[in-house]
Amino acid sequence: MVAYIIRRLLSVIPITIGVILITFFVFRVVGGNPAYRIAGKNATPARIAQISHERGYDKPLFVNFHEFPRHVFDAQFPQLVWHLVRFDFGQSIVTKERVSTMLREGAGPSLCVTTPLFLIELFLGVGLALLAAYYRNTWIDRGLVLLSVMGMSISSLVYIMLAQYWLASVWRLFPVWGFESPCYLILPVLVGVIAGVGGELRFYRTVMLDEMYQDYVRTARAKGVSSRTILFRHVLRNALIPILTNVIIAIPFLYTGALLLENFFGIPGLGRLTVMALFNFDDDVVFATTFIGSILFVLFNALTDIAYTWADPRIRLK
Amino acid sequence: MPLSRLLVLLSAGAIIATAVSCGRVFTSDSADERNTLCRVGGDFKGFDPVDAVDVESAREVSYVYEGLLEYAYLERPYRPVPRLAEAMPDVSVDGLTYTFTIKPGIHFIDDPCFPGGKGREMVAADFVYSFKRVLDPHLESQGDWVFAGHVLGADDWVKQIGAIKGPVDYSAPLAGFQATDNYTLQIRLAKPYPQLLYVLTMSYAFVVPHEAVEFYGDQFRRHPVGTGPFRLKSWRPNYRIEYERNPTFSGQTYPDTGEPGDRAAGLLADAGKPLPLVDRVVEYDIREFYTVWQMFLGGRIFTSLINKDYFEKAISSDLSLSPELVKRGIRLYKIPTLDTEYLGFNMLDPVVGASSDAVINEHHKKLRQAFASAIDVKTFVAVIFNNRYMPANSLIPPGVAGHTDKPYAYEYNLERAKQLLAEAGYPGGRDEHGNPLRLTMILPGSGSTDARQEADFYEEALRAVGVELVVQQLSFAEYLRREHDGETQVFWAGWVIDYPDAQNFLQLFYGPNKCPGINASNYQNPEFDRLYERILTMADSPERTALYEQMADMTTADCVWVLMAYPLEYGLFQPWFQNYKPHGFPYPNGKFYRVKPH
Repeated sequence: MVAYIIRRLLSVIPITIGVILITFFVFRVVGGNPAYRIAGKNATPARIAQISHERGYDKPLFVNFHEFPRHVFDAQFPQLVWHLVRFDFGQSIVTKERVSTMLREGAGPSLCVTTPLFLIELFLGVGLALLAAYYRNTWIDRGLVLLSVMGMSISSLVYIMLAQYWLASVWRLFPVWGFESPCYLILPVLVGVIAGVGGELRFYRTVMLDEMYQDYVRTARAKGVSSRTILFRHVLRNALIPILTNVIIAIPFLYTGALLLENFFGIPGLGRLTVMALFNFDDDVVFATTFIGSILFVLFNALTDIAYTWADPRIRLK
Repeated sequence: MPLSRLLVLLSAGAIIATAVSCGRVFTSDSADERNTLCRVGGDFKGFDPVDAVDVESAREVSYVYEGLLEYAYLERPYRPVPRLAEAMPDVSVDGLTYTFTIKPGIHFIDDPCFPGGKGREMVAADFVYSFKRVLDPHLESQGDWVFAGHVLGADDWVKQIGAIKGPVDYSAPLAGFQATDNYTLQIRLAKPYPQLLYVLTMSYAFVVPHEAVEFYGDQFRRHPVGTGPFRLKSWRPNYRIEYERNPTFSGQTYPDTGEPGDRAAGLLADAGKPLPLVDRVVEYDIREFYTVWQMFLGGRIFTSLINKDYFEKAISSDLSLSPELVKRGIRLYKIPTLDTEYLGFNMLDPVVGASSDAVINEHHKKLRQAFASAIDVKTFVAVIFNNRYMPANSLIPPGVAGHTDKPYAYEYNLERAKQLLAEAGYPGGRDEHGNPLRLTMILPGSGSTDARQEADFYEEALRAVGVELVVQQLSFAEYLRREHDGETQVFWAGWVIDYPDAQNFLQLFYGPNKCPGINASNYQNPEFDRLYERILTMADSPERTALYEQMADMTTADCVWVLMAYPLEYGLFQPWFQNYKPHGFPYPNGKFYRVKPH
């Protein structure tokens, strides 16, 4: 198992470099030299050259053949990777703020929205799936499936707009926008839950029903175990692997934030920060969020595998 | 612990925590609570005047910092008046030396950066320090052009400072900026620069104390220490900024003179009252227009622009305010911005550019004229921009001396376009060998809907005369690089005027400014250059205005640009918002606004 974990941890390196390479290609190779944007419309060639030099934009993109072999890695991409692995995320070209400061300030607000959203969605998703499975093929099950399909079919933008208009603007039950107190989180979380719980319910219901047709359930039923006990003690336990996969893999996204919700409801989190960085071609911010996101994703993937051994002792990691 | 129980506990905990927290007092920034101006702000670069390049940054910086001069709020045409200067400067006969007397007794706000936390008096040396910061290449200010190339010794100083690694010593002398005593500032120029008075109203020229820059270091942008009408109370980037009245503000009062009609419009009702008229300003950083709209309708912000997608909801077909909004007492404003959008030709391009051969040159000119005549700008602004733009007829926008009402020489005329194309050697859009004429145009905004729609429109317009136009949508950085390096054939561009002087537009045609300078069209016309050099040293006069018109006509005759449109800003006001007068340079105007109790 230790060898497996080490192997999985080492896989972070090529995956993360690959992700950064793609991002670098889009932002630096296709996007062009950021020095032109930093220098602005009245810039002289000398100013552009100076900014390019100071920020390293005048270096070769991938390999420095000019000073081969001593400074072969004195190029933009290797330098970027070197800075990122040291968690030196540089400076935003838009705000001139340290990117690490921006990430630190954005993480809290993002987690304020995504954590309750995640937990409520999980609880509701699993709870309703159990209910649907327990009452399978009854009007309760069909009603829940119908609602979940309807919920999944409607864009979350529609929920956001309806909620902002009716609940906030017309009925004034919630603030339209802001991040002043926990009250301001209710509407975005509510909208997030409504938009997301349908998919969760459908997934967990399928998992539960798969389990309910297993031999051990039939055996338990034959032994006279009550349906409730079968569902909560046996089915839920055996359905843990897909649930764990779904849950643990979602955790990195708590950090990266909820893009739409943050943008519409004014949560100054990392989702909003990422959207603005993409919009402004603020490459250092994009590199940093991509880097952290990819690392978290790979790590939590590994954690999912490890969690399987806890959920099902028969599983061995090699 | 069984998973189900764990889930129940965790979720219940989250719900209870939220519910308990909501028992707290619900805070709202609704403007009726206190004498507060609430509005939507945006992406800005922080409170360092050297970075105040965009509209948002210039406005935020102007709440807390000030300069020697500012524009008279109510007067038109725009006229600089003293702000931190005691009076307008004494200008030497040769126009090379401007001597300002600084108002005594003006203090920076109290701040820990000063000994004892007490704001000290602002002196002339503070301006010298602040102006040098604008020129400091390490600070990467986009505003260095306001002094570089104009102020005596500035270029050498920049070279000297640029070579220094590490902290810059601003005590290194710069001949053009001299504080001869605490209240006298002398600016010496390398050549006459009548636009100096305008650029001194800009945010780049605002005064900052060296103590704050040194004390806060790279966090200075978060800690404004100025003399402005407000001081920063809190700022959460990407979310909200709050200002409160600066208790040590220097006693400026609301103006008592304006244009005819201002009194009747109620704009002089507050004449003589101490500024600012509101106690608090709150700005929200809202990016989704739907949210802005809900906030505006809910009365939480005093103004809202009208987004393209909401235009038909807010504005009737006769371009007046919709009855529903009129019923709410909401008022509409419509301001032409001092901005011209155009399509530029690269005059060095072998197909559309100028040529030393007179016949070829004439053919290429006719090709450019055909291009211009093929574009139906009226349909363009109606279809793409809901008539939120006005078709342009002069490169100089309305409201700036030099603009004329003469109709545009290349108004949409498909038949004429075809005829000009034939005269240019491309009958039916094909050259003498029968090959189709293919042109390439660049515009910024890759991936945006607006850019896509515009690209489709231009391609379709040229297709109608048989020309194959390929519009490349580029990232902004790549677009700037191509334009800067002259790697263009046709390019979309817009120029927002920096100060109310047409010279700011005409510099875009001056030969020595060719790529990589700001003359992205690489226009070369010795006669134009001669006139440009002449107007550079002329003060505002009817003679200079006549020259501006003549120079604009020269560029139109050569069809260097296809004039597209002047953007119109449509916006809405709440009924309780007062003292608003449209202004081309509105950044410091928050201090004049008033919020009626409601």
